[in-house]
Amino acid sequence: MDLFGGYNPRLSRLVILNKKENLYHFPVVCNQCENAYCMNVCPTKAIKRNADGIVVIDPEKCIACGLCADYCPIKVVCLDPETGKAFKCELCQGKPLCIEACPTKALELVRMDNKGKINE
Amino acid sequence: MNEAYTNNLLMIDLSNNTHEILPTSKPLTADFIGGKGFGAKLLFDNLAPDTDPLGPDNLLMFFPGPLTGTMAPAMRGCVVTKSPLTGIFLDSYFGGSLAAEIKYAGYDGIIVKGRAKQPVYLWISDNRVEICDAGHLWGADTLEANRLIKNELDDDSIKIATIGQAGENKILYSLICCEYNRQAGRGGAGAVMGSKNLKAIAVKGSKLVNIHDPGEFKKACQDAVLELEQSPDVEALRVAGTASAIEYANETGLLPHKNYQYGTFARASKIADKGQSKHLWLGSNACMGCPIRCSKIGAVRTGKYKGFVTDIIEYESAALLGSNLDISDIRAVAHLVKLCDLYGMDSMSTGTIIGFAMEACEKGLIEAPGGIDLKFGSIEAAEYLIHAIANLKDPLGKLLSKGVKQAARVIGNHAEDIAVHTKGLESPAWGPRGVSGMALALMTTDRGGCHQRGFPVSYELGGEWNGTPLDPLSPEGKAQMVVALQNYSAGTDTVVKCDFGTFGISEKTYIRMLSAATGRVYSSDIFYITGERIWNVVRLFNLSQGLDISEDMLPRRFVEEPLPDGPAKGHRISKKDMAYMKKEYYKKRGWDENGVPLETTLKRLRIDYARSNQ
Ligand code: SF4
Ligand code: SF4
Ligand code: SF4
Repeated sequence: MDLFGGYNPRLSRLVILNKKENLYHFPVVCNQCENAYCMNVCPTKAIKRNADGIVVIDPEKCIACGLCADYCPIKVVCLDPETGKAFKCELCQGKPLCIEACPTKALELVRMDNKGKINE
Repeated sequence: MNEAYTNNLLMIDLSNNTHEILPTSKPLTADFIGGKGFGAKLLFDNLAPDTDPLGPDNLLMFFPGPLTGTMAPAMRGCVVTKSPLTGIFLDSYFGGSLAAEIKYAGYDGIIVKGRAKQPVYLWISDNRVEICDAGHLWGADTLEANRLIKNELDDDSIKIATIGQAGENKILYSLICCEYNRQAGRGGAGAVMGSKNLKAIAVKGSKLVNIHDPGEFKKACQDAVLELEQSPDVEALRVAGTASAIEYANETGLLPHKNYQYGTFARASKIADKGQSKHLWLGSNACMGCPIRCSKIGAVRTGKYKGFVTDIIEYESAALLGSNLDISDIRAVAHLVKLCDLYGMDSMSTGTIIGFAMEACEKGLIEAPGGIDLKFGSIEAAEYLIHAIANLKDPLGKLLSKGVKQAARVIGNHAEDIAVHTKGLESPAWGPRGVSGMALALMTTDRGGCHQRGFPVSYELGGEWNGTPLDPLSPEGKAQMVVALQNYSAGTDTVVKCDFGTFGISEKTYIRMLSAATGRVYSSDIFYITGERIWNVVRLFNLSQGLDISEDMLPRRFVEEPLPDGPAKGHRISKKDMAYMKKEYYKKRGWDENGVPLETTLKRLRIDYARSNQ
């Protein structure tokens, strides 16, 4: 809503996957992959990792080719329906709105090292 | 312009293999808002008197509301058509995510007319509309058809409405399955879909639902969520869904037992939240974006029927396929409900009709099929009948596929005395003998035996409505309450709200959300006025389709047989009470003594009968 000015969960950067007649629900968010395919395939180097380790897209450099969306293994890059430019979860400058909005506090932001250990 | 409406109605003609996009007209949105309102108006304007509900001229319509697919909490969609079970207006509501997807594809509604020559399904992806062959899907159950289409289109994110074998066989109470575990359940919309040779509608939408004033809209939605949080009724739904109503209905003597002969069931807790949470539930579930999340999801893991996923067994299904049949094994009830869901058959009507058959057999009015012990308490008999009805297997299955009203007529021999329905729609699981307002609501609902067009029970048992004291057993003061509840319910069915949302969200907040979303100004009584307008248009429609006003009445059981148990023991709704309440009701509605809307009423509501009837 805030990004594109309207509602459609297909453009959401957090996806809820439902499996087996809705018996299971999985929230899926960008992993900020160490070997980020979205970054690897981008022809204009619009995708970079910032100082916090977050994979971010520079809309100025993005030419709306859609390759990152095609090759993200968990399909969490979405394309602006008007401009075709790519968007992904960049953790909302460190204060994710999804965490604020979740009524059951199912989400939290943690930092993991490359061995999968959570650092407080 | 950003205004929550997409301003497109998709009209599909299956006879001619064509489709067109019609504008959602300004007068339509101004007078009818959306959802039920659109359905009532379009049905009234477009169906000739005595249209065959299973013929090509009937319309099958799917409507999200202006607030569906936005952040507004607890919104759904509705199906509107002429019912083959009752021969009158039918609106049936479904949650899940299909209704929102229709909006994302760019439509305020999908209207299907005609009849395809062979089985087909619709594949709607934004502006692309394809009528695809469904020969290979015919014969599949509701979930199998869903899975096959997702495989075929290679996309799990598509939202699909399907019918099962019951709809194909035009069982008069077959449903439309709107994935998953969400059904447009009542009145036989599935049979209408089957009569059109339409197996499924698959939808994918990539467009945005825009909002006129996003800032104010967000605030109004946040207030709505807050109101929900503060409601103890909503909290009860969150904890145990509608299953929590079983103990309540049992304590108050409203729970049907043995084809509604009784109002209490000694083993009620086994099929209530207690039994369900122990044997079935694993987690919670919600329709898209709904913070109430009234659904539970789980599986039958052990016992004879083990190995399937089951949703919560909703109050109505648990009561009608459980206590009403004297069955208390919740895993067996879950099995029966799942069979109904897979065949695509309304579990409420199915429960009532099986209860009817069990009683008829015990009374010697019908014979049991060979090898079947057709009596209350028999799970095997219930299961047998579900298969027999859905597949039109033996003479009894065929007979019961027509619904309890028609079946009783064919059987004769006073079988009608034990047929529990209003206007042909099997009654809901709220025996009204101890609550006369509920009785009046059942007598006068626009679609037949239904509890959702006004539910006075809680006010009557609470002893008060709108500050005036109420005696649940007296016919006094019930008409104006029922009229007001019906109007409000129909009015908010335009947005299209879930009934449970109204347990928390106030009228003011609904109007604020609607106004911020559409950018229009609404009066503070907009839902009452619109609801009253709809109620009158539907009445005109029903009369044009041959509604017999003597059918504004209760089934005989609630009139002649005093309740044998529970707190309202000994009570019934007498003919005199019925006549009194009906007269008051017509008066409050502005209808003449024959239940026909008066000229002055139509004028006040800006219903142009002449134009509408062209
Ligand atoms: S967008 Fe996909 S590929 Fe890129 S970092 Fe996130 S998960 Fe990895
Ligand atoms: S869509 Fe933009 S960000 Fe994605 S790969 Fe293409 S240029 Fe790079
Ligand atoms: S309250 Fe329940 S049925 Fe209603 S919209 Fe929410 S989850 Fe769906």
